[in-house]
Amino acid sequence: MIEVEHLSKIYGSTTAIEDVHFSVEAGEILGFLGPNGAGKTTTMRILAGYLPATTGTARVANYDVHKQSMEVRRRIGYLPETPPLYLDMTVEGFLHFVAKIKGVPAGDRSQKVIFAIKRCQLLERQKVMIRKLSKGYRQRVGIAQALVHEPPVIILDEPTIGLDPIQLIEVRNLIKSLAGERTIVLSTHILPEVSMTCDRVTIINRGKVVATNTPINLMKELSSSSGYEVEIEGDAAPVFSALQQISGVATVEVHRERASSASNRTLLQITCSDNAEPGKEIAATIVNLGLGLQEMRRTRPSLEDVFLHLTTEDLVVSTQEEN
Amino acid sequence: MIIANTIAIFQKELQGYFGSPLAYIVAAVFWLISGLFFVELLLGQEGIIQQVATSEQLGIATAPVDVVYLFLNSFFAVMGSLSLFILPILSMGLYAEERKRGTIELLATSPITNWVVALGKLLGVVAFFIVMILPLLIYEAIAFSAAKPPIPPVVPLLAHLGLILLATAILSLGMFISSLTDSSIIAAILTFALVLFLWIIDLIANNIGGEFGEALKHISLLESYNNLVQGIFDTSDLILLASYIFLGLFLTALSIETFRFSRQ
Repeated sequence: MIEVEHLSKIYGSTTAIEDVHFSVEAGEILGFLGPNGAGKTTTMRILAGYLPATTGTARVANYDVHKQSMEVRRRIGYLPETPPLYLDMTVEGFLHFVAKIKGVPAGDRSQKVIFAIKRCQLLERQKVMIRKLSKGYRQRVGIAQALVHEPPVIILDEPTIGLDPIQLIEVRNLIKSLAGERTIVLSTHILPEVSMTCDRVTIINRGKVVATNTPINLMKELSSSSGYEVEIEGDAAPVFSALQQISGVATVEVHRERASSASNRTLLQITCSDNAEPGKEIAATIVNLGLGLQEMRRTRPSLEDVFLHLTTEDLVVSTQEEN
Repeated sequence: MIIANTIAIFQKELQGYFGSPLAYIVAAVFWLISGLFFVELLLGQEGIIQQVATSEQLGIATAPVDVVYLFLNSFFAVMGSLSLFILPILSMGLYAEERKRGTIELLATSPITNWVVALGKLLGVVAFFIVMILPLLIYEAIAFSAAKPPIPPVVPLLAHLGLILLATAILSLGMFISSLTDSSIIAAILTFALVLFLWIIDLIANNIGGEFGEALKHISLLESYNNLVQGIFDTSDLILLASYIFLGLFLTALSIETFRFSRQ
């Protein structure tokens, strides 16, 4: 549904994005994840046909976003970084206007507007001037304007910014409910959002794509850094050397400051070598030395670790080959 | 489709003016000043009727004077100048506000062309201006109904057409200036500067004479307006005014396109 190839955008002397490439299947939700200033908004704008790319191509529903802009515009709903709202219109009036300029036939307009209002839970605010709405409601009106003409492709630039935790869940559920019937690209810098709503993630850093995969696969990529967190009671020194003898244990670190407030406790962070499962041996060693094993917990890399790993070390993980 | 979209933008724009306190203030000031001039020019100490009466008493009047015609000329000369100073305030927000609010991103990613947006916006603001001059028709009707012999309807008709075309041309150029910035204030100031420039051109054209003066007269908006107000129907004046309107539309569509291309 969406194919982006070798996309670059250069503003004067600064390169906003470089050789960005990804594709989205019909009905899929792709998360576009990156720190602030990574080039997310630039990419979204190019996809929506608002900005032309310097080089490379982007195609939506097999139409080139630049050369066949009108065809693409008919097929997308777009929520820019700042929701494009006319403050002196009512919610309903604004959505009617958007439906009109998006080419919804007059007969279908009222029905589609009501549907979008219901879907974005704006029913009790539909007659209110947008000027009087809170930020969270304005954001929802922004999402409603991207949905109102029922486009096959929806591009959302930071859709959950400024929402309170309850609205956040509602909006995420709304986005999830669109999966299957609509193709969605959403950009965000919030990690949990991606693992909760997206089928696949493209991570972008400093204008370059550093990884594209499912959230689960991305975490697996870093499985080598899985390990254990162990809290023991007693002298840590003998345990420290004994643990390093166990096969499958890569490193052992002592974090006294992170242990529970009770005295005489030590927190050990153990990382394992690839695919090793030395949990049993670790427990046995501690118990055999006569120490109290207060807590033992398996640690797996979170998406956050993957993200930090990818965006701080400039490490390009080539996971784009998706058979 | 194009017409439907133009109407959509037009309605939105017009609705925006009726919902804006600034537009009402502008209209109120316009009505106040135009009303004052109307009364003053017609009935005041220096007014047309007084002047004619005085000259008849003194026996200076050699030929019969068409009071209505004289009044119409001087009133519309004032209306033209007044409009020049009111119009930049109406046109300043046309695009600057869209840019500031980010709604330009909605318009630019909707299946409508820049031309349609610009045309719809221009029609919207012109419609608001027409609403502004409607009350003037009432007192003109009252004054002219007393005229003997009655004034041929084509004269005031041409004068109003001239005023609307002059306003459309200024608004069109003002719209272009508004599309260059995201500050309404800067747009208003630059449009005022443009209006002053047009005024100076007209002054020079009427005062230096010679070939250069004649050439300037041909490109002066106010000159064409004055011709229409005097009841002189010349297609070249209409073409000039239409050219200015088209120029404004063209530059607006162009600037929106380039603005997207070069946006930082």
